[in-house]
Amino acid sequence: MQIALIILGVLSIIAILIYNSLIGKKNQVENIFAGVDTVLKKRFDLIPNLVASVSQYMEHEKSTLEKVTELRAQAMKPGISDEQKISLDAQLTSALGAINIAMEAYPDLKANENVMHLQRSLNEIEEQISAARRAYNQAVTDLNNAIEMFPTNIIAGWMNLQRKAVFEITVSERQNVDVGALFNK
Amino acid sequence: MKSLSELTDFYYKELYPSLNELEKTRMQIISQLKWYGGMGAVVFTLTAIWMGKNFGLFHPLMIAVAIGFIVLASITYRFMTQGYAKDFKSKIITPLIGAIDSNLLYNPDFMISQHLFERSQLFNHKVDRYNGNDYVKGSIDGVPLEFSDVHAEYQTKDSKGRTQWQTLFRGLFLVAEFNKYFKSKTVILPDQAEKNFGTLIGGWLQSINFSRDDLIRLDDPEFEKAFVVYGNDPIEARYILSHSMMKRILEFQKKITHPLFVSFVHNHIHIGIGTKKDLFEPAVFTSLLDFKQAMEYINTLRYTIGLVEELKLNEKLWSKE
Repeated sequence: MQIALIILGVLSIIAILIYNSLIGKKNQVENIFAGVDTVLKKRFDLIPNLVASVSQYMEHEKSTLEKVTELRAQAMKPGISDEQKISLDAQLTSALGAINIAMEAYPDLKANENVMHLQRSLNEIEEQISAARRAYNQAVTDLNNAIEMFPTNIIAGWMNLQRKAVFEITVSERQNVDVGALFNK
Repeated sequence: MKSLSELTDFYYKELYPSLNELEKTRMQIISQLKWYGGMGAVVFTLTAIWMGKNFGLFHPLMIAVAIGFIVLASITYRFMTQGYAKDFKSKIITPLIGAIDSNLLYNPDFMISQHLFERSQLFNHKVDRYNGNDYVKGSIDGVPLEFSDVHAEYQTKDSKGRTQWQTLFRGLFLVAEFNKYFKSKTVILPDQAEKNFGTLIGGWLQSINFSRDDLIRLDDPEFEKAFVVYGNDPIEARYILSHSMMKRILEFQKKITHPLFVSFVHNHIHIGIGTKKDLFEPAVFTSLLDFKQAMEYINTLRYTIGLVEELKLNEKLWSKE
């Protein structure tokens, strides 16, 4: 009888520890996503400025600029899910990367102080976003591992925790960083 | 910064008169040392024979005499080489640093402040004795930096209550301005636990280190294997440690064989290289004209000052002006 009680006690302590660590991981993901959100918003704030400054020069890229504006409008809508935000962010990043590359063809743009400043700010925010994404991915991986691995998966099942999506690091994004570095030399 | 061959040329051409002069002093010191050494050996042998006859060879007094001789010898050695070391620093190292970059100031007796050493948070221990020398300060490519030899120690008591000095850190310590703004603290230490206990248990041990901030696991497996990272902001830690920065730190670690400690605090990068020895102490028994010896001095300086370029601290890519 006593042994059964001890075993029960130990098991419940383990269950409590697992429960708490899962909650900790879940909150960490939410916490870091808030950080991701902040830097994404910083980028949204810069976009109208960038579009306004470069549109008079970049005649051939009108469609890309329009796409960026539209993506921003979509992402700013209230009540969109985290997954949607993640996918919009990926599209926005690749569109901005395209603009970045296209800017190389316009010497007038490079001479423009205002555009250069925007470019630097965007570069920096891009780096911050990349950092936030990586932090988020790590937190999500920790949570996803806990949800799928034994024995934490049993308790995660009771808590009805769901796997979360990670940010895909696209090939264009890697290029994006390189182009930024070239541009400033 | 000048290339390696330019500096080697400078060393052998411009500094040649000083080197020659110092070389003469060195030869004198060696012959003096030999003379004193020979005399000391004779006196010691005579004393030993006399003591052996009167007290027996393994008498406690015998040990005291032996220790006395060793102490006397080391004091004599110190005394005789002191001037030589000083001349070496003022006639060789000072112009060499000037040749690398004229913006650099050198002071052989000064060191990086204890405040900066403690601010780095690399060594979580009270420092009871703090020493150093060979201080260099200036700016490279617009990046302010300073470095020096540092020897930090703390006190412990053994079971008999005797105080003992333990070395916390001995080697080169460098502080430079970092090219990104940040508010958090990020500390990078050599990875001991994962090396000794494997990824699973080692990783778990690292995560329960209470004296440090949260463990930050990074997405570069090679970097993770070599280092352990603690920090109080997971996003900023990754902002500082971009993929390229991790690669550069890793490459630097491969170049130097000593343990590497790096921390990012207060918008500055702090780097400790645990060489366990002094930087520019001339060895009396090796010639200054010896190529290997010369390369060691030049390379140490180049690696340290070159860190600014190596880690691309001079890249003003960001809005920080």
